[in-house]
This record gives sequence, C-alpha cells and structure tokens, in this order.
Amino acid sequence: MSITTSELLWAEKYRPKSLKEMVNQEDIVKRLMKFVEERNMPHVLFAGPPGTGKTTAALALAHDMYGEDWRRYVLELNASDERGIAVIRNKVKEFARSKLPGDIPFKIVILDEADNMTADAQQALRRIMEMFVETTRFILIANYASKIIDPIQSRCAAFRFTQLRKEDVVARLKWICEQEKVICYPDGLEAIYEISGGDLRKAINILQASASLGEVTVSNVYKVVGLAHPKEVREILNLAFASKFIEARDRLRDLMVTYGLSGIDILKQMHREIFSADLKIPEDMRIVIADNIGEIQFRLVEGADDEIQLTALLARLSLLGKKLQSKS
Amino acid sequence: MSHQLKIPWVIKYRPRKVEDVINQEEAKSKVLEWLKKWPNVTKKALLFYGPPGCGKTSLVEAISNEFGYELLEMNASDFRRKEDIERVAVRASTMQSLFASGKKKLILLDEVDGVANKEDVGGLEAIEHLVKVTKVPIIMTANNPWDQKLRILRDIAEFVQFRKLEKRDLMKLLHRICNAENLHCDEDALDYIVSRAEGDARAAINDLQAVGEGFGEVTLERAKAILRPRDKERDPFETLKLLFSSRYAWQARNALSQSQLDYEQLKLWLEENIPHQYTDMEDVLRAYEALSKSDIYLGRIVKSGDWDLLVYAMDLMTVGVALAAINNPRDKDKWTKYTFPQRISIMSKLKEVRSVREDLATILAKHLHTSASTAKSDVLPILKAMFVSNPEYAAKLAIGLGLSEKMIEILAGTNKQAILDYYRKVEELLEKKASEALAGTKKLKQEMKKEKPETEKGKEKKNTKDLFSFTKKSG
Repeated sequence: MSITTSELLWAEKYRPKSLKEMVNQEDIVKRLMKFVEERNMPHVLFAGPPGTGKTTAALALAHDMYGEDWRRYVLELNASDERGIAVIRNKVKEFARSKLPGDIPFKIVILDEADNMTADAQQALRRIMEMFVETTRFILIANYASKIIDPIQSRCAAFRFTQLRKEDVVARLKWICEQEKVICYPDGLEAIYEISGGDLRKAINILQASASLGEVTVSNVYKVVGLAHPKEVREILNLAFASKFIEARDRLRDLMVTYGLSGIDILKQMHREIFSADLKIPEDMRIVIADNIGEIQFRLVEGADDEIQLTALLARLSLLGKKLQSKS
Repeated sequence: MSHQLKIPWVIKYRPRKVEDVINQEEAKSKVLEWLKKWPNVTKKALLFYGPPGCGKTSLVEAISNEFGYELLEMNASDFRRKEDIERVAVRASTMQSLFASGKKKLILLDEVDGVANKEDVGGLEAIEHLVKVTKVPIIMTANNPWDQKLRILRDIAEFVQFRKLEKRDLMKLLHRICNAENLHCDEDALDYIVSRAEGDARAAINDLQAVGEGFGEVTLERAKAILRPRDKERDPFETLKLLFSSRYAWQARNALSQSQLDYEQLKLWLEENIPHQYTDMEDVLRAYEALSKSDIYLGRIVKSGDWDLLVYAMDLMTVGVALAAINNPRDKDKWTKYTFPQRISIMSKLKEVRSVREDLATILAKHLHTSASTAKSDVLPILKAMFVSNPEYAAKLAIGLGLSEKMIEILAGTNKQAILDYYRKVEELLEKKASEALAGTKKLKQEMKKEKPETEKGKEKKNTKDLFSFTKKSG
C-alpha cells in the first residue's frame, strides 16, 4: 500500500492522542497525568491563546483516563455552536443520565470556547456543573480566563497554557514533514511560524497547504497565504478609496456570500490590510480608518446587521477617499 | 415663515370659530342651545357621532375658542383606566367650585368608541359616573354610536348626528387653504384629492399638504404620484419615492406607516437604494449612518427584548435617511430607478450554497474539535487554497474527510472537474481494494488467531474499511 488514497488534515492526524505524546506545556501535562493516575479530577479550566494545546490536552486526558473507548464517556460541546444554555443543559443532562460501568469514576464534559458565553449563561452553567458533579467533571476551555465568571473559576482548577516557543513550533512542523516525507526548508518553516503567530494548529494547516504545492518553501508558504486570504478585501478597500462606492458595496456582498465570511471576519482582514505597506495611503489615515473599523465591530457586537454596518463603513471610506483625492 | 410651515395643516387650519366649521348646521344649533341651558338640561352630556373628519372634534374646539371655555380634553388613549377618568372628573368639578369666577370649563372625551374596544374594564362605567357627578358640560365623540358596547351611553347622553361632508364643501375648504398658502392648485388635482378623501376633511388636508408643501403647486400628476387610494398600501417603489422626497419629519414617518414594507424590509430596500438616490458622498454617508444607527437599535431590541426602542429605529430609518440630502437636496426629487434588494435575491439563490458550506464547516469542526465558526474562518480558506492548487491532493482530502460533490465544488470552483475525475479513479481503486480486503479477511482472521491482534496488518485492514465507508457516505 505505497500510494495513499486518502488524506486527512494534519492538524488532526498529528494531534497527540495521549498525554505522553504531548511535547509542550510540560508542567500542565505532568499534573494531568497525576489525575489519570489517581483516577480522579476536579472541574478544570484550560485557558490560553489558540493553538497552544488546550483541546489536545483535554482529549488526551480523556483518552488516558478511559483508554481506547474514551469517546463513550466524553461529551464534547462547543459554546459557540450550541444554541443557548438550555441546549447545553439538555445535552449534559442526557449524557449524565446513562449509567457508568463500575470501574469508571465519572464522565467528562469538554466545553470549548466557554468564554464566548454571556455572564448569564455562565451562571446557568455553574448550576449545571453543580447539579451533575457526582457523575461528571467539566473541562472548560477558553482563550481568556478573565472572561469566565469568578464563581466558575473558583470551582475549577485553572491551567494557564502559554504561547509555544518558536523552536518548539518549528521542530513540530519539521517532525511532521519527516513523517510525511515532505521536503521543507528552515526559512519556510519560520515563515509559517511568523504568519501563524504561534498558533500551532494554524501553522500545521499552512504547512499542509504549502506541502500540497510540492515543497515547503518560503514562496510556497506565501502563495498559500495569498490563496487563503482573498485579495477581495484589498480590492474592496481600493474601490472605496477610489470613491467607487457602489462597486465596492457589490464586491463586499459577493465576498460575504461566496466565501461565507462574517462581518467580523471581514473587518479583521480590513484591519490587517490597513496596516500593510502595500496599501498606499497617508500614514495618519491608517489610524483614522482603524478607529472606524473598530466602531463598526463594536456595533456588530451590539447585535447589528453585518451588511448594513459594513456598507456604512464603505460609505465612510469612500468619503475619505474622495477627500484624499481632492487634496492631492 | 418656514418654521410656520412645519405645522401640519390640519392643525394650522382648524376652525377657530363655530361658523368656520363646514356644514353641520343642524348639529351646531343643537349644541349651542344645549350649552346655553346647561346645567338645566335633560342630559348632562352630548355624544357627537359621524364619520371621521366631518368636524366633530373641530366643532368642540371652535366652541371653546369662541365662547371662552377651557377645554379638558381626553382621548381614548388617555382614559384606558377608570382612575384616569375619575381624576379628571374630580379635577373638573372641584376646580369649578373653587374658582367660580374663572373660565368656564368643558370636558371633551374624544373617540369613546375606542374605550369600548379596549379591554379596559370599568372605562365606560367611569364615564357614566363622571356624567352623573359632573359640574361642567361633557361632550363625547364617536364614529359608530350603535356599537353594542356603547349602549350604556344612550341613557346618559344626547346623541347629535354629524353628516359626511359633501364634495363641494371639501373643495371650498381646499381652495381656502391653497389661497392662504399661496399654492397654485390645479382644479383637477383638488378634485382628485377630494374624491379619494370620501368626505374626510382631515384626510383631504393631509393629502393636500403632502402633495403641495415645498413644491409651490399642486398638479394632478404629482397628486397621482404621491397619493394612492386610501385602502391600498404603497408598494416598495412608492414608499421609497415618498420617503426620499420627504421634506419634513412627519412626511418621512408617514412613508413607513402606509407601506407594504415593514421596517425590516424597508431597511434592506434603503440599504440597496440610498446610493442610487443620493449622489453626494457626504449625503450618502449621512443616510447610511442613520440607517446604521437604526440597525443598532434593532439589534438592541433583539438582545434586550425591549420593543420600546423600535420607535427610535424607525425614526432613524425614515426621518434620518430622508433628511440626509443636505449637500445636494435636489437629489431628493430625482427620478430614480429603484432596485429590489440584491441581498434578498442573492440570499435565496445561494441558499443551497450556504447550507452546503454550513455542512462543510460542521464536518471540519467535528474533525478538528473546533467550533463551526472557527472552521469557517480559519480552516476553510486553507482548504480552499489546497483545492485550487492541487486537484490530486484535494481529491485525497475529499475522500479522507468524506466531502460531498457539492462541497468539493464550493472549495474548488472551476477546478472541480479535475478533482472529481481523480476522486472517481480513487473510488474505483478503493472498491477493488475493498473486495480484495474482503477476500483477505478469512486469511487475516486466521493469522489473528495465531498471533495477538495488535498487528500492523490488523490496523491496515481497519483503515481500508474506514476509507470505504467514507466514500460511501460522500457518494
């Protein structure tokens, strides 16, 4: 079986299955291994930047706790995807109801992106955690511990995941390349690290896409990033600055529909573009525009409509563009 | 002069004297006689009844103005509750006795049929009580006094009929206003306005103002463009035309109240058409800012459940957008070809694409243990990059992840065919392998009996089976 007929995403393929395989967050891993040894654990909170191993640690802990059959005793939920706390409560209730075999002390609920829950929902979550504490333990995962309400924090053992070191990320990428028998160059791997900002999952995704172009070279890495981050956003900005408002608006709509990007995604990309050297605008304009983008993002967080708000932003940029033109 | 114009004409030209009230001579003499005798009358209250806009309230106001009554006015919306009515009753009667030398008073209960329609228990009983104890004359108005719920009033109030106004009465009225406003009014235009008013002076005056104010003339053409038969709501195009051409806040607000569009739809229509109507970029921005703020209120309503905020959202959407053309006010009347909100048509066209994309995000989210939104924003773009650049690799991923043909299409765009070709080739290969694997199972089982099951071969077999099930799922 020399030719592979199928591929998976490497981010998953090379995710450590067991705590023993984890090469980072040594202190945390050691503590988690103790839980496995004692066959007991409190509720825990994993907090830290994306791509630092929080979900991996949670899954690996469950794996080591229950063995190959672990999925039967683990409920994975993502707070961003579940519609409301009532849904979460029902799922947890349903999950907690079924009997445990004698040798299994408790089940585990992994709740990812818990910091996306409102304070009210977290209060309800706290009650759920208490209600089922006899039979279930919660692993809460969040980017920011500060966004988790105090009553929950005080009921959890908190683990702070730290940003991965550059050499660790690069070493991991290199190791994957060896497994996959892909030729990689050090500067290519470093470029991936820079682009991913230390987020290992993102880095592995870029690695895989670069490898799919042949070798992991700097130019392939940038080619991938160029393909992945549509030029549309820059083109929309350029149209707006050229005061071609209606065209810019129509392109924006295209982008939202064809790429399925949310308003916030687009705002974040715009923000990146505004500070890129390729965009030729007076330096002081960059911060004016950043302020405007921030205001629009705030409105979206308030519950406003993506398209209306982004169109209003484009109108503002078009006016700015017009003023710039008349000045020069 | 301009600030005077902002008063609605129905208020500006309401009758000051009894003789100004058009027609209704029979009612007038009846009322005046009754007032002269009061309190030596058989019934201490009158009930004016007749169709809307025939002068019931106007006559009461004219009387109070001309004969020096202080008018204590309550509208149906005011006396929902019994206590409200009693408060007025007490105030009216005690004040009267304390300041005997002061102004005479007259109580007006407008639109009492409105009271009966609401489920305000005791509202009518309170009126009955008020009539019994009152020390000042009471006049009520109603459109339909024969309403069963109002029968209690028949015993305590004398009914006075108001007739529907004749066409020529209304023509006279409109002519008078045209002269006062220095408006050039075409006869056929006034005729059009009057016929659709159907005896309702208030409606006729409102329409005259809508057509004439700010234009200096009233033509049939404009009347027809702006006004619609009253029972028909304005279609979206008329709504936009009226809204954009509005010069006054109340005009803009009216645009939404008589439209087929609700505020959510209007929002989309405005989003689409603002840059078609307005040409000055600053005006465009002003309009979008208003729309944007309106939209923020709508978001807050959903978040907080506080529907009181809706009025602000509607104000910004109508008045805010209509009064945004400051640099280039001529745009307001510019003939504009309005377009149906592209967003709605694109959305419905791409409904399938979106649902396929959601499914794809769900698969990736499950696979990678992330949220669907992270999958969409972080993983999809990278996957797309692979699908456009390397069809063979893409096909392998499609098989590995169990993607459907439609998902491949979304990811690969024009590259789709190359991927599908390879995909099929692999599928055939897999089917062959699967049958081989099936044939080899017996042999494998025997081997597994001999050794411990922890063999590479066992794993390999499992792999092949998984792949097979993936392709089946996706096919």
